[in-house]
Amino acid sequence: MLIPAFLFAMFAGIAIGCSLGVIFHRNPVHCALLLVGVLLSVSGLFILLNASFLAALQVLVYAGAIMVLFLFVLMLLNLKGENPLLTRGAAKGFGILFAIVVFVELLWTVLSPQMEGGMAASPTVPTGFGSPAAIGRVLYTVWLYPFEITSILLLIAVIGAVVLAKRKFG
Amino acid sequence: MDTAFLIESAIKVHIVLGFVLLVVPYIVWMERKVLGHMQDRIGPERVGPFGLLQTIADGIKLFMKEDLVPAQADKVVFIIAPGITVVTALIAATVIPWGDTVELFGRTVALHVADVNVALLFVLATTSMGVYGIVLGGWASNSKYSLLGGLRSSAQMISYELAQGISLVSVVLLAGTLSLAEIGRQQAHLWYVVPQFFGFLIYVISGVAETNRAPFDLPEAETELVAGFHTEYSSMKWAFYFLGEYANMMVVAGVAITVFLGGWQGPVLPPVVWFLVKLTAFLFFFIWLRATFPRLRYDQLMAFGWKVLLPAAILNLVVTAVVVALW
Repeated sequence: MLIPAFLFAMFAGIAIGCSLGVIFHRNPVHCALLLVGVLLSVSGLFILLNASFLAALQVLVYAGAIMVLFLFVLMLLNLKGENPLLTRGAAKGFGILFAIVVFVELLWTVLSPQMEGGMAASPTVPTGFGSPAAIGRVLYTVWLYPFEITSILLLIAVIGAVVLAKRKFG
Repeated sequence: MDTAFLIESAIKVHIVLGFVLLVVPYIVWMERKVLGHMQDRIGPERVGPFGLLQTIADGIKLFMKEDLVPAQADKVVFIIAPGITVVTALIAATVIPWGDTVELFGRTVALHVADVNVALLFVLATTSMGVYGIVLGGWASNSKYSLLGGLRSSAQMISYELAQGISLVSVVLLAGTLSLAEIGRQQAHLWYVVPQFFGFLIYVISGVAETNRAPFDLPEAETELVAGFHTEYSSMKWAFYFLGEYANMMVVAGVAITVFLGGWQGPVLPPVVWFLVKLTAFLFFFIWLRATFPRLRYDQLMAFGWKVLLPAAILNLVVTAVVVALW
């Protein structure tokens, strides 16, 4: 029981520390790297929750592919210690509003009675929980429509990217 | 988590990591010898019998070299980057099975360090992290050639990762599991290279591209980029990139053997020996490729990855899926 608690504290601590670094660091490339640190420690938390499939996908897709493309763009632009883009009043106000909404939402979820019951009695994990087969079954039955709508959204994004890249400027 | 399990894991970690690190000098020696003979030369022969100690001497020389960090470099990232390459390769090596379970001292011991039920995804995930070592090294050096090398490698590795992953998915469809040990066990009678020959071809081609080896060694391309991402690296930091490349070769070869070439299975010889024989043969194949093919041009490389290899991999996956569904 001690080792999982220690691991949780470690991953959670790294995640929080890296998240703060993402916000406060001046160099965009360092920020991107700290974001990779956040993603990796969150995937560690997934493993502690018996969701090793999700953890592997998190590293493979987010940390291994999407963040590399982020870095690719940041390095090409070679921004070093740029001034923050959104400092004007309206943008700042929107950011604060958004943060408050997310915070209230999370607080509401944590304090809901359903959650309290879950924390009191540590639930037993059903066999096969978090396995690729179990996730696939749920994804293609219960969540079929959201899943297909997401894939159409992604297709639209791909077509949009191709159209933008092919457009002749000037 | 009982104490015996912890001790067993610790021993296995030491064996696997020690093996990978100790065997790299001999792979380098093999590469130089084989390349030499393929080019009608002799290769290293002065230090030790058959030049066997040549790479050890080179290693000692690298330890003694001055360690330079460019003045305008991003120091922290510059120092971390080579480590990332080595560490990700070593982590990936822990899930590759060397054999089936054996009985040792009254315990059932599996011949791989970590028993992960999504081992195949685990390998892909850790090797996809390996690209950071090269990209960051190229960026942190603050040199044009290094940056170009780093950018090339990020584009190349992401492109070929897709084809690699999809070619492995075809085998997963046949095997019905993501566990490397289980996939290896299923090939007692038929290696997956027989039903999945095209998958194997696609995996090997993208595997060579993933490890940045000739004919896909564009991130370093000494004739145009002056060694690319590691131009500014010297001493042991440079040696770490070298070490990482060879450790990555072993991981790619280990996965290919386990998934397509029957893993540790084979007649007469014991399982671990079979695994090592196949590993050596595969590494020889890597060296053979390097001696045979000239380097591709960069646009050819990207066109080949996206317009030939990826569609071929998807087609292979669709055909496999249809066959599995109808059977």
